[in-house]
Amino acid sequence: MGKQKDGTEAAAGFGCINRRAFLFASGATVGGTVLLTGVPGMGKQAVEARVSRYPRMFVENMSRLVLNEPVRFKYPDKGRNSNSILVKMGEPAGGGIGADRNIVAFNTLCTHMGGEMGKTFQASHAVLGPCPFHQSTFDLTRHGMIVSGHATESLPQVLLEVEGDDIYAVGLIGLIYGRYDNLKG
Amino acid sequence: MTENSTPFYQPEDQIPLPPKDADVLTTCCDYCVMACGYKVYRWPTDAPSGGPKKDQNALKRNYPLGPLQGGWVGPNQFTQAVYNGKLYNIAVVADPDADVVNVRGGHSIRGGCIAQKVYNPKRPTQDRLKYPLVRINDILMPVTWDFALDIFAEVSKHVIREHGEHSWAMKYFSYQYFENTYALTKLALKSINTPAIAHHDHPSFVNSVPGWVDIGYDIFGASNEDFALADCLFISGTDPFETKTVLWNSWILKGIHGNKSKVIMVNPRKTAGAAYAEKHGGLHLDVNPGSDTAVHMAIERIILENGWEDSEFIAKWVNNFWETDSGFGQGTRNTPWQWRTTWGKFQVKGFDDWRKWILAQEESKPEVAARIAGIDVQKIYKAAEMMAKPKANGERVKTTICIEKGNYWSNNYLNTASVGTLGVILGCGGRPGQVITRLGGHQRGGVNGGPYPTTKSPYKVPGRRRHRLDLDRWLSSGHVRFAYVVGTTWIQSMPASSALEDTFKRLTKLNPNQVRSFDKQEIIDTLKRRVDSGGTVVANQDIYLRNPIGNQYADIVLPAATWGEEDFTRASGERRVRLYSKFYDPPGNALPDWKIVAKIAQKMGFEGYDWRDSNEVFEESCRFTRGSRKDYNVIRTVAKRKGMKAHDFLRTFGTTGLQAPLMLDGDKIIETKRLHDYNRTDLPETGPEGVSVQGKSIMAFKSHTGKLNLVKSPWSLWADFYEFMQPRGDELWITNGRINEIWESGFDDYERRPYTQQRWPMNFVEIHPDDAAERGIESGDLVAIGSTRVPVQTDFNLGVKGDDMWFSGLMKRGHIELASGQFSAVAMVTPAIKRGVLFTDFLKMDAPANSVTPRVPDPITMNYRFKIASGTVKKVGESPFKHKFDQMTFKRRDIV
Repeated sequence: MGKQKDGTEAAAGFGCINRRAFLFASGATVGGTVLLTGVPGMGKQAVEARVSRYPRMFVENMSRLVLNEPVRFKYPDKGRNSNSILVKMGEPAGGGIGADRNIVAFNTLCTHMGGEMGKTFQASHAVLGPCPFHQSTFDLTRHGMIVSGHATESLPQVLLEVEGDDIYAVGLIGLIYGRYDNLKG
Repeated sequence: MTENSTPFYQPEDQIPLPPKDADVLTTCCDYCVMACGYKVYRWPTDAPSGGPKKDQNALKRNYPLGPLQGGWVGPNQFTQAVYNGKLYNIAVVADPDADVVNVRGGHSIRGGCIAQKVYNPKRPTQDRLKYPLVRINDILMPVTWDFALDIFAEVSKHVIREHGEHSWAMKYFSYQYFENTYALTKLALKSINTPAIAHHDHPSFVNSVPGWVDIGYDIFGASNEDFALADCLFISGTDPFETKTVLWNSWILKGIHGNKSKVIMVNPRKTAGAAYAEKHGGLHLDVNPGSDTAVHMAIERIILENGWEDSEFIAKWVNNFWETDSGFGQGTRNTPWQWRTTWGKFQVKGFDDWRKWILAQEESKPEVAARIAGIDVQKIYKAAEMMAKPKANGERVKTTICIEKGNYWSNNYLNTASVGTLGVILGCGGRPGQVITRLGGHQRGGVNGGPYPTTKSPYKVPGRRRHRLDLDRWLSSGHVRFAYVVGTTWIQSMPASSALEDTFKRLTKLNPNQVRSFDKQEIIDTLKRRVDSGGTVVANQDIYLRNPIGNQYADIVLPAATWGEEDFTRASGERRVRLYSKFYDPPGNALPDWKIVAKIAQKMGFEGYDWRDSNEVFEESCRFTRGSRKDYNVIRTVAKRKGMKAHDFLRTFGTTGLQAPLMLDGDKIIETKRLHDYNRTDLPETGPEGVSVQGKSIMAFKSHTGKLNLVKSPWSLWADFYEFMQPRGDELWITNGRINEIWESGFDDYERRPYTQQRWPMNFVEIHPDDAAERGIESGDLVAIGSTRVPVQTDFNLGVKGDDMWFSGLMKRGHIELASGQFSAVAMVTPAIKRGVLFTDFLKMDAPANSVTPRVPDPITMNYRFKIASGTVKKVGESPFKHKFDQMTFKRRDIV
């Protein structure tokens, strides 16, 4: 994807650096304690649309993450089908945060028939699945793309941002299985 | 790795729900042979959408949905389309209320996304063919229907008059709805009566599983339920997980978990299904391409030596010498079976004779078969035990055998004959969980509107036999002057496709008679001069402009309407006939195929094409199905009694439909769960009357006696060709197939579905890590695959002596030319593919695997051997996907 604008340009465009502006300025490491990623490469408007209606929710401290041990959380609400995992993997990933760009988060409901895959992380493959229902697998290094199986959507990827040691969930790409609107749980 | 990444496919995160009063129509998936039931929800874009409570939406479900509930409307289930001139929201969802096939709304990745097949000017389907086109100054220019079809009809009439009906050819889909195939074959076979006709997947008008024709098995005799009832499933040359998703998800998994079914998968590639089967007590026979017959015979030998055959069944249902040789009345004298066996190479004198023959074959020795197949011999013993060794309590194992193209398109006659006889000795056929069937590719939508004129075929083979006309060879020899190509790419779909393209180019573009006028008569005259000078005029009818058949070689391009744009009917793999509702308007001036045919036929002066709608075509087709496996004749009869149109009557059966063959008992329609069901007791006591025909296969087998024939499968008939096709030097086997995410040539998904395009932006090839390392290839590398010794059978052959038509005989007599073929792919290095074998998509338009497959049909049956090729693979460089996160993944597909 195209080269990203750096923090300076983004800041200039938005007057002052706030959380959203940092998100638009994604990709590069911006000094200090704030490291933002989200989905680099998406246009400013697109990212804004993605995140503006979502809650910002603390998930976990970066320093507490253990390699290949997923942390389970719920996002964007505590309602049905919001099960998600945050995981630091052994390889870099699309939308990954952290120095090694290997920390990602996804909703864990299989987008085929809603099978819960929260406990199926395959560390050696960086894959979620196979779904206990019909064996679909998803590549967590490729934005939740289907590896093999029947799902008609990628796994919804939870957009992350970092502030100091804190990891926040700030948005979602894709529709959560069984919902008609991610924010209507 | 690239630092940043944006997902290629970014779906919406909110989708409107159909309101309570949305129109609800039933249809089925357009893709694989399962034909899952679907519901279409349609409501105006300016009307309010539905709410999340079950009394607020047409799905009658509370949102959010729970697991396995069915009926989710995700981004790929939603689109918009014009109906009666007005814009509507459309949701196409696997029928959450389905009682059969995809019970409670199961679906595949292909069918699940089928809403994206709908023509929507704002989406990638915007490039549908909308207007008839005629090539003028080498540009396809929009014209009216009358303009295009006047040219079609005048040139056709000229060709038939001056060059004979053999020169007018039709290459068409065998499956795309009863109404269309009926109309097309009525024109070609009844009105024109040409022998130059072939389906999308064959060089000739032939059967795919001829071994079973000779044995007496129907090729679609099973019901889905059988796959959940078997103790052992022998699945050869396919993986339903990849190709018939709902058969796996809803039926085979049910058997594995409920019935403890053991699944044997025969495939050079460890697919997800094969890996799952192995994990659950099954077996993966990772055979070399084309080695199946030896493995079948070795399993048979082990069964026979242990006395594990079903003696009771054999005594009752296998023809003895008298029955085989003489039969009743006409006996076998004039059947394809006898024609094939007048060489004396296949016929046996009953079970004992066959047993003796099997035990005398070198290739049936397990060690020999294992060496040919490149597998551990213990796997052959294990397979025989799983399939046939009686249980501890003495009961027989219920084994079901199912095959598909990896089996029958590598060694057509011998594989189908030998796996068929394996079925016979295991007592397969007609009993719950104990059947033998094809798994199937396309749905079953073919009805013939006329008989094939076999006597007009010039292809004479030794003895008094005659093959049906080989259309590819006929074309290459310059005999086709007008080619009507309907719903198939023809070129990439046939073997040695690059050589075939050269033929098309020579006959069309390189002919000096090219259209340089917009005057209709001048165009007609020019094209007549073309055909008189030995060239060919091509008319291509399809839903998209296909390259190269339409884009480069067609003189006339005709836009067809398709699924959802007309009321159509079709049968599934378990012979279930359903109505596929029209729910939106076709784009531009596109017309359904049957209607285009009717216009052509009328312009050519033929009678009997004055149908007013697709229902009238359907009603006319009904009687042509009598006695067949999809006999639906009574639908028309009962509808008429009720004063209804046959389509409307069938519509009342929704996604359940009616399972053929259908019979009538008074006003009651009797369906058929499985064929060869000799224990059946629900047939009308009065027997078949009037409109009902009780075909032999309903309660017996499809031979002259109703019993099964055992046949030989001599390896020597295949050995010369197999030897030639073996990889030499640094060549590897190249085999090909379909994968889960992509339907056929990819016209709907590979090419027009961003969700699928992110997964498969380019062709792929699976290569074993050892083969890859030797060639310096890594996952993500772009590789070139090719062969310069692709055999092509040329010329018309008048076979006289016994071995004239065998591969070595053809070679000796100069009837095999060697062509070259190349295609590219992105390497996926995985131990899931057998060492020494490459696996690639079978029909990617810009990377045709068929460029290296042999265009030498099985001399016994005129089926191609698409799955057998060999060639080299070399690294070209790195693909753009090797270091990016946004498209393509190189993770293993066999993680279970």
